Amino acid sequence: MATNAIDQTRRMLSLVTYLRERPGAHVQDVARAFGITEDELISDLDVLPMCGTSFRGGDLLDIDTDGDRIWWHNPDDVAEPLRLAADEATALLVAARAVATLPGLRESDRQALVRATAKLETAAGEVGAASSRLSVTFESEGGVFADVDRAISERRRLWLRYYSPARDALTEREVDPIRLFAVGHTYMEGWCRLTEARRTFRLDRVAEIRLLDAPSEPPELELRDLSEGLVQPAAEDPEVVIEVGPGGRWVAEYYPHDRAEELPDGGMRITLRTPDPASLRRLALRLGGEGRITAPQDLAESARAAAREALAAYDGAL
Amino acid sequence: MAIAKAERLMNLALCLLGTRRPLSKRELRGSIEAYLEAGSDDAFNRMFERDKDDLRELGLVIETVENLDGDTGYLARRDSNRLPPITLDAEEAAALGLAAKVWQQARLAGAASGALQKLRAAGMPEAEDAYEVHSALEPRIPVHEAAFEPLMLACRDRRPVTFDYRKANAARPEQRQVEPWTLECWRGHWYLAGWDRERGAERVFRLSRISGRVRSRAGAFTAPVPDVVTVRETVESWAGETATRTARIRLKSGSGYPLRARATSVRDLGGGWDELEIPYGHGLDAWLVEFGPDVVVSEPADLRADVVDRLRAVAKD
Repeated sequence: MATNAIDQTRRMLSLVTYLRERPGAHVQDVARAFGITEDELISDLDVLPMCGTSFRGGDLLDIDTDGDRIWWHNPDDVAEPLRLAADEATALLVAARAVATLPGLRESDRQALVRATAKLETAAGEVGAASSRLSVTFESEGGVFADVDRAISERRRLWLRYYSPARDALTEREVDPIRLFAVGHTYMEGWCRLTEARRTFRLDRVAEIRLLDAPSEPPELELRDLSEGLVQPAAEDPEVVIEVGPGGRWVAEYYPHDRAEELPDGGMRITLRTPDPASLRRLALRLGGEGRITAPQDLAESARAAAREALAAYDGAL
Repeated sequence: MAIAKAERLMNLALCLLGTRRPLSKRELRGSIEAYLEAGSDDAFNRMFERDKDDLRELGLVIETVENLDGDTGYLARRDSNRLPPITLDAEEAAALGLAAKVWQQARLAGAASGALQKLRAAGMPEAEDAYEVHSALEPRIPVHEAAFEPLMLACRDRRPVTFDYRKANAARPEQRQVEPWTLECWRGHWYLAGWDRERGAERVFRLSRISGRVRSRAGAFTAPVPDVVTVRETVESWAGETATRTARIRLKSGSGYPLRARATSVRDLGGGWDELEIPYGHGLDAWLVEFGPDVVVSEPADLRADVVDRLRAVAKD
C-alpha cells in the first residue's frame, strides 16, 4: 500500500477510534484489520503520541506499544467513527457495483454485496451521490466463468477448446486452473498440460469447456503481479516495428509496446517485442492502408503474400 | 528535522474535532508544533490553507465561523462528522473487502482502503479472508490513463475542463472544451461522456486519446446534466456492434471461429468452404481482412469493395 501523508492521516484517524474500543489489542490483529503491515502500524504508533486533542496542549495521546500489544492510557471521546469522504464512498461504491455485475459471482456473494452497497449508500448520505459519475462494467462469459470457478474450488482439471487469434485456430487442451481475474475482460491463469507452461486464457475465447475428474495439480508458482500488465514480453523476444498513419494510432492503445515515436504526418512508429511475430500478420492485414510492418522483413512479406492470395479470389468479379 | 505532514494533519484534525468553540488561526498556530516552526506568516498561511483542503478531502466537515471581533474561527463539529450507524455482517464485510481491492489507481485504492478502515473502526466485523477461500475471483480495474484522475475530480466537482484530443483518424490533436459528466470503464478502457461546448452537443471521449494535461476552467456548467448518460451504446456503435445489415461471406472450413460464433447461419458449400451470414456493422471490413485468404466476401457489394481496397493496400506495400 502506498503510504502518503493523506492515506496515513486517514488511517490514523480510524486507528484511534479502533484502539479506543480495544484496550491491549495485539499489533498483529490490528495490522490485519487495517490491511497494513506491522511496520506500517508501528510507524503510525510512533506518530500518534505526538498528537494532541486540544489547542491548549498538554493532552497528547498516550498510546504505546511493547511491540506485541497496544495500550491507550488516556482514551478520549474525540475518537468517534468518522463519516465517509466523497472519494472514499465513490471508490467503494463503484467497485462494489462493478463486482456485483460479474456474471460468475456466486449468488450468495452477490446478495451480500448488494446488501452492503445499500447500507453503504445510506451511511454515505449525500457524499455518495458523486459515485454515480463513475462506472465500470466487467465483461465475463457467465457459463465458462462458473465452470472455471468450480474447477478451482474443487481442485479439478479442465478440458478446453480454445481459440487462438494468432493462429486463427481452435486447440484442445487440458489445463490446471490457478486463478480467475478480470482486467477489462475476464481471464483464467492456469498450467497448460499441452505445453507444460503457465498460460493465460481469455474466457470469451473459450469455445467449449468441461470439468474433468482428474485432480488439478499445477506446480507451485509465484503468482504474477498483474499491475505490470498482462503481457510481459521477455528481453530476448524478437522486435517488431510497425509504422502507422493517423488512422492506425489505435495500435499503440491496444498493443503493449517498448517505444512509440511520433511521425511528422501524425502517425507513429511503434516498436514492440513478441515471442511470436507471425501472430502479428493479422494486424498487418487489418491495418490496410493505415499502416505497415517494417520489420522483420519476412513478417511484412507474409502479410503481402496473404493479401495477394486473398485478392486472387476476387479476380474477374471486379 | 521537519515535522512529518501526517503528524501535522493529525494534530489539526484532532484539535478541530476536540474543540467545542471555533478556534482562531492564532490559537491553532500557537498549539501545533509544525505551525510554530513554520516561520513567516505567509508560509504558515499557505500551509494552513493546504492542510484544511487535505482534511476536507478526507471527509472532514470544517466550519468557518466569524467571531464577534471579526476573527475567523474553525471547528469540526462532532455531529456533522460522525458516521451514521451502519451494521455489516461478516459476509457483507467480506464482499466489501473484495470490492476494495479492485482499484489499481493509487488515489482510489487509498480511498477504498480508507473507507474500509473507517468502517472497521466503526465495528465492521473481520472476515479472516473468508472470501478468498470460497471464490477464486480477482477482479481488477485498470487505470493507465493520466487523464483519469483530473477528470474524475472534475466530474465529482462538476468543473468544466479543456484538453487536447485526437480523434481516431485525426493527424493532430484538437483542443476540446468539455463539461464532464461521467467516466465509464468498458472492456478495460476508460471513456468520458460530457457536453462539448464548441459543438454544442453530447460527446464521448476515449481517455487514451487525450494528450497533455487536463486543465480545469473557472465557472459552472452551462448545459443541463442528463439523468441517464449512455456511454456504452456510443462505444458499441464505434465498435460496430450495432449492426443494421447482413453480409454473406465464404469462409474456409475449420477457420474463423469468432466469425462463426457471430454468424446467424452457416452452410457447408463443399470443397472445404462454408457460407456464413453475419451482422454487418461499422468495422466489419477491417475484421474480415484479418482472415486473409480464408474469407471471401460475397455481398453486399460495398463491403466487398472495401475489403478489396484494404487487401490492395497491403499487397502493394
